[in-house]
Amino acid sequence: MTERTSFDSHRPPSRELLDDCVHCGFCLPTCPTYVINGEEMDSPRGRIYLMDLAERGEIPLDRTMSAHIDSCLGCLACVPACPSGVRYDLLIEAVRPQIERHVPRTRIDRLVRRAVFAVFPHPARLRVAAVAGLLYRRLGLAASLRRLGVVRRLPAQVRAAEELLPPVRFRSLFGRMDAVVPAVGERRMRVALLEGCAQRVLFGDVNAATARVLAAEGCEVVVPREQQCCGALSMHAGREDEAARRARRLIDTFERHEVDAVVVNVAGCGSSMKEYGELLRDDPAYADRAARFAASVRDVSEVLAQLPPRAERHRIDARIAYHDACHLGNAQGIRQQPRDLLRSVPGVEVTDIPEASICCGSAGIYNLVQPDAAEELGRRKAAAIESTAPDVVATANAGCLLQVRRFLTTDVTLVHPIQVVDAAIRGVPLGEERR
Amino acid sequence: MSAIVTTYRPADLAELRDALTESARAGQRLAVAGTGTAQWGGLVDADAVVDTTAMTGLISYNPTDMTVAVRAGTRLADLQEVLAEHRQWVALDPARATAEGGTVGGIVATADAGPSRHQFGGSRDSVIGMTVVLADGTVARSGGHVIKNVAGYDLAKLFHGCLGTLGVVAEVVLRVHPRPAATATLAVACPAREAFTLGGRLIAESLEPAAVEWTCTRPRGPGLAQRAEAAREQRDGTLLVRFDGTTNGVADRLRRARALAGEHAAEGTPEHWQKAGRLAVGAPGDTVLRLGTAPDQVAQLVMDVDRLAATHAVDAAMTSTLFAGVHTVRLRDAPAAAHAAVVESLRMAHSAATVCRWAPDLRNELAPWGDPPPAVSLLRAVKRRFDPDDRLCPGRFAPWF
Amino acid sequence: MVIFRIVEMTSRAVGTSWPAELAAVLGPDSVITDPARLRTYECDGLTGYRVVPAAVALPRSTEEVAAAVGVCARHGISFVARGAGTGLSGGALPVADGIVISLQRLRRILHVDPVNLRAVVEPGVTNLDISRAAASHGLYYAPDPSSQQVCTIGGNVAENSGGAHCLKYGFTVNHVLAAEVVLADGTVTTLGGQSQHLPGFDLLGAFVGSEGTLGIVTQVTVRLLAKPAQVRTMVADFATVAAAGDAVTAIVAAGIVPAAVEMLDNLAIQAVGASTRSVYTADTAAALVVELDGPPDDVAELFDDVQRICRDQGSTKIMVAADAEERALIWQGRKAAFAAVGRISPNYFVQDGVVPRGRLAEVLGRIAAMADEAGIRVANVFHAGDGNLHPLVLYSEADGEHDRAERLSTEIAELCVELGGSLSGEHGIGADKACSMPRMFGEDDLATMLRLREAFDPAGLCNPGKVFPTPRLCGERPGPYRPHPLETAGVIERL
Repeated sequence: MTERTSFDSHRPPSRELLDDCVHCGFCLPTCPTYVINGEEMDSPRGRIYLMDLAERGEIPLDRTMSAHIDSCLGCLACVPACPSGVRYDLLIEAVRPQIERHVPRTRIDRLVRRAVFAVFPHPARLRVAAVAGLLYRRLGLAASLRRLGVVRRLPAQVRAAEELLPPVRFRSLFGRMDAVVPAVGERRMRVALLEGCAQRVLFGDVNAATARVLAAEGCEVVVPREQQCCGALSMHAGREDEAARRARRLIDTFERHEVDAVVVNVAGCGSSMKEYGELLRDDPAYADRAARFAASVRDVSEVLAQLPPRAERHRIDARIAYHDACHLGNAQGIRQQPRDLLRSVPGVEVTDIPEASICCGSAGIYNLVQPDAAEELGRRKAAAIESTAPDVVATANAGCLLQVRRFLTTDVTLVHPIQVVDAAIRGVPLGEERR
Repeated sequence: MSAIVTTYRPADLAELRDALTESARAGQRLAVAGTGTAQWGGLVDADAVVDTTAMTGLISYNPTDMTVAVRAGTRLADLQEVLAEHRQWVALDPARATAEGGTVGGIVATADAGPSRHQFGGSRDSVIGMTVVLADGTVARSGGHVIKNVAGYDLAKLFHGCLGTLGVVAEVVLRVHPRPAATATLAVACPAREAFTLGGRLIAESLEPAAVEWTCTRPRGPGLAQRAEAAREQRDGTLLVRFDGTTNGVADRLRRARALAGEHAAEGTPEHWQKAGRLAVGAPGDTVLRLGTAPDQVAQLVMDVDRLAATHAVDAAMTSTLFAGVHTVRLRDAPAAAHAAVVESLRMAHSAATVCRWAPDLRNELAPWGDPPPAVSLLRAVKRRFDPDDRLCPGRFAPWF
Repeated sequence: MVIFRIVEMTSRAVGTSWPAELAAVLGPDSVITDPARLRTYECDGLTGYRVVPAAVALPRSTEEVAAAVGVCARHGISFVARGAGTGLSGGALPVADGIVISLQRLRRILHVDPVNLRAVVEPGVTNLDISRAAASHGLYYAPDPSSQQVCTIGGNVAENSGGAHCLKYGFTVNHVLAAEVVLADGTVTTLGGQSQHLPGFDLLGAFVGSEGTLGIVTQVTVRLLAKPAQVRTMVADFATVAAAGDAVTAIVAAGIVPAAVEMLDNLAIQAVGASTRSVYTADTAAALVVELDGPPDDVAELFDDVQRICRDQGSTKIMVAADAEERALIWQGRKAAFAAVGRISPNYFVQDGVVPRGRLAEVLGRIAAMADEAGIRVANVFHAGDGNLHPLVLYSEADGEHDRAERLSTEIAELCVELGGSLSGEHGIGADKACSMPRMFGEDDLATMLRLREAFDPAGLCNPGKVFPTPRLCGERPGPYRPHPLETAGVIERL
């Protein structure tokens, strides 16, 4: 039977995993693309059906197939929704590299992907791009180009990138973190912090806040200097070799530090790093180490949930809408801890957002390569958020922050939950710490 | 109308089938009659009548299964009596069943129902299976003896409201409900608008009323607009709310409902319901009209009825199952032409109005039906398939078909 | 390799210009003709039957549905309406050379009317979303099929869907006030209306549950109910399935109408236990979920009665849900049970049959004996309160058990008929059970039903091959007629 399959022999999706799907459809309402267009093949059930047919060799790996695999945001909302326990996460991760290897992309798609991967995982290059973007805005180019209608005529992918640029400042672009942040008071833990590639450039203040809060709660925080991109973006895009390369390098870097946990404040990075064991399982030199490393990875909210609050929180009166990042909620099952973290601040009221399980459309590089669907999802999410009339929106993923910011129509403060706690501990008004 | 020369009085399904086959051979047009409590719709032009009153009796009843099968000529009241021995009932209480001995088949054919339709729906919601005989003698069964059943088309639904035009109902299987341990009624003197609002509050407070009926028997008659106005101020009409349940539960809900209803509330009596029932049935000489609206249109309808009663000097009374949007208007004490004028005017806004009782001579003044419903072409298509020669109750739905 | 039977159902005439016409009326983005994409529509929740349609249309409005059906009518092409594709009887199985009309782009909730206690929605709205939209008014939509979070109201109307709480509240047909319908000739009409009183015969009642064979619903007006003041739920364990069945009979006999009475046997409990935070006792032979709702005093009294009855009937343990969260866990397990069985068996059939409530214990015993004899495991999870069984026939395709399991499954459905019940309580006849229909209905019964179909759809384009046995589907003679057991028992007569 194997000879009839359309997949190559390098880690194709397994027949057992495909057979777990009983076609009940419980995944449909959780799938963002299905919610938008209502087409069966853009649902988890439909995608699994296509994978199943390809596995049987009944359909080829072609642009039709890749269109529906690429359209998947990888938000994994379907996984907890599945009563049969189908591992869609494993299936999609297995199929993406097959598509990447066998289906030639259109020219524009290839260019965009190449550009994205040439810039985002490289802080130095991203910094240059961000500076360019900053100048572009500061010098009024943005406004005049928009006025001239130039932006409207750009390809949707480029327009998306243009609109996603966050309002960063020069200082935060070039700020560096201390290599070691000592614990305040008696040390309870020693942790290593992932700075993230895009994160450190665009959200350096979130990293700073993370280190301060961890320290205030008794963690000695090590920030390995040589660390690079964790490979999450590559992994979610099916660039398996690149992802594996980055994973090995990150493991090498962090293994040099003796710590209790590796702390991550970006949901997408955390979920990938927790899967290093799976990614490198065929690499004899790394399989065990990867599994060990993966087991030590914690989201910052997980770490703090283990540590009864020690630092005093000052009051912040705010209604905070908490947005579950897919890679935190669906991929890592972390839903309660960030809410508890926010509620540890007196005066904070945490509200849930309608359609909470539907992805905001950020999804790694999705909003750059599938801009139309991402835009519709972004608008939908922004509207859902605004329906709760929050003062603040908190979400624990850089991509979500960028995406949601782009579509919000009202002036709402957007933060990582850790920034709320940081502000409360330092006794400064929320949002002030960045000014 | 031709003279009826033949009366078939079958005692069971086989005889009914034979009657239909025989009449088909003879090319007779048939009227179908039970105890004759309903005159709904147009007058039938028939050569023979099928009298169902000999087709009586239970076919099967197992109280544990909570279903009962009866022959269609069985009086609903007789059936209820049998069920009562097992503390059960069919959740149907059309007034004419108790007042006049309406048969199960007749109630199905008219889709009639009483105040309990608020909770339990109409007869279509209680019937779970049916055996019918078509004009050509075909015996067809659908549904079954279990309350949950989606096998095949639900022909029983189709026969609801067919007024004998699709076939003759031979046997009916009904679901039964346990009789509540206790029941109590709240009676609140109030006009329709207030009744609707209060009823809505009782529902919203989850007091689960089994019936929410507003009735108004005050004579309107000559004297008119001023009098109607005055009467409205005197808290015209009565809201009747029935609670079914456990002894404590009903007492508690009645207490809470009284508190919500305020000073004009009192505990209702069976007489309240009987009065509403008598109104819905009417008496010889009356015209009784049944019409449907969206529930919140009741106050508007009451105003219209008041106005028309005044204009045409007719005594109009009314009872409404508020949240089913079903209203029964009884016209009394005026010439047929006045009744006709009221009905005609009401039909302008409510084309679906059904005349259930015709005052003498009213048929000379008034068409059997108003404008047809949107799906009339489907009604015609179904009729053609079931009775292609138009032998069953011809004229009943004239001029629709 | 799994072997699937492809049922051949070919529509009459296939012209050449219709795909272009379809694309012209709907727009190219709303018509799928690519072979690989079409494959994803080849089955619904019942995967044993697969037919690839010639095209899939995704209209966005009533007008577009009517236009698509109009194209079919002009060209004599069969069409099958499809909602979320969760049906378990193959009701949305496509017709070869026919088109599938997906209603997944008609998903607007048009109006929630708390004053008149109703909502107007498009057919692609999920059952649960109606209740969500009504929640802020303290209202909800009562019928609750287990797939309520995904199944659509359009599908519910087609199948007359039930659910756990139908014991007290009735089925879809009891909660639909009006439906806008596109008929097989492409015309649009309205069945039902604003009120319970409608002159003329009850076309709406006949349409609901007609499994998509009379037309396509494009707008539905449903009744909304006030949320009950109190809900109390318990799980009562029993040492035998029969004892649990007897307890159900005793509760009903006591004149209590619970909101729901559900039963799970041990195999089903094992499946549920493997999938969710299970609240069920892992080693009990059977568990009854009993839920009462209504005004507090009534519920309190009857809830005590039910507990007493369960104890009298030998319940080994009663767990009362302490709060909404525990209740949710009980229901989460129950409602996910079908799909959860996928965790304990590679393949399974979901059966759906009904027996009179008094015969629950008997039928369960006979099913167990039949399963033993066939050497096939059968899990039971079902709506015990109304006698609606859902035996799950577990088998392994790989071990060649398919045919044996399928036979057993069919025999169980026919056993239900033999005991005076029905072939289907809520999943419908669809493609799956059409051949068993002669077990329940005589030729004249079926012919009379077909008169209704001909009145609605004289050309037979609307979901052909479903509900009614055809020689093509069921062999030359569509099933032998045998006297219905109720006939033999003298309960019914057939002439």
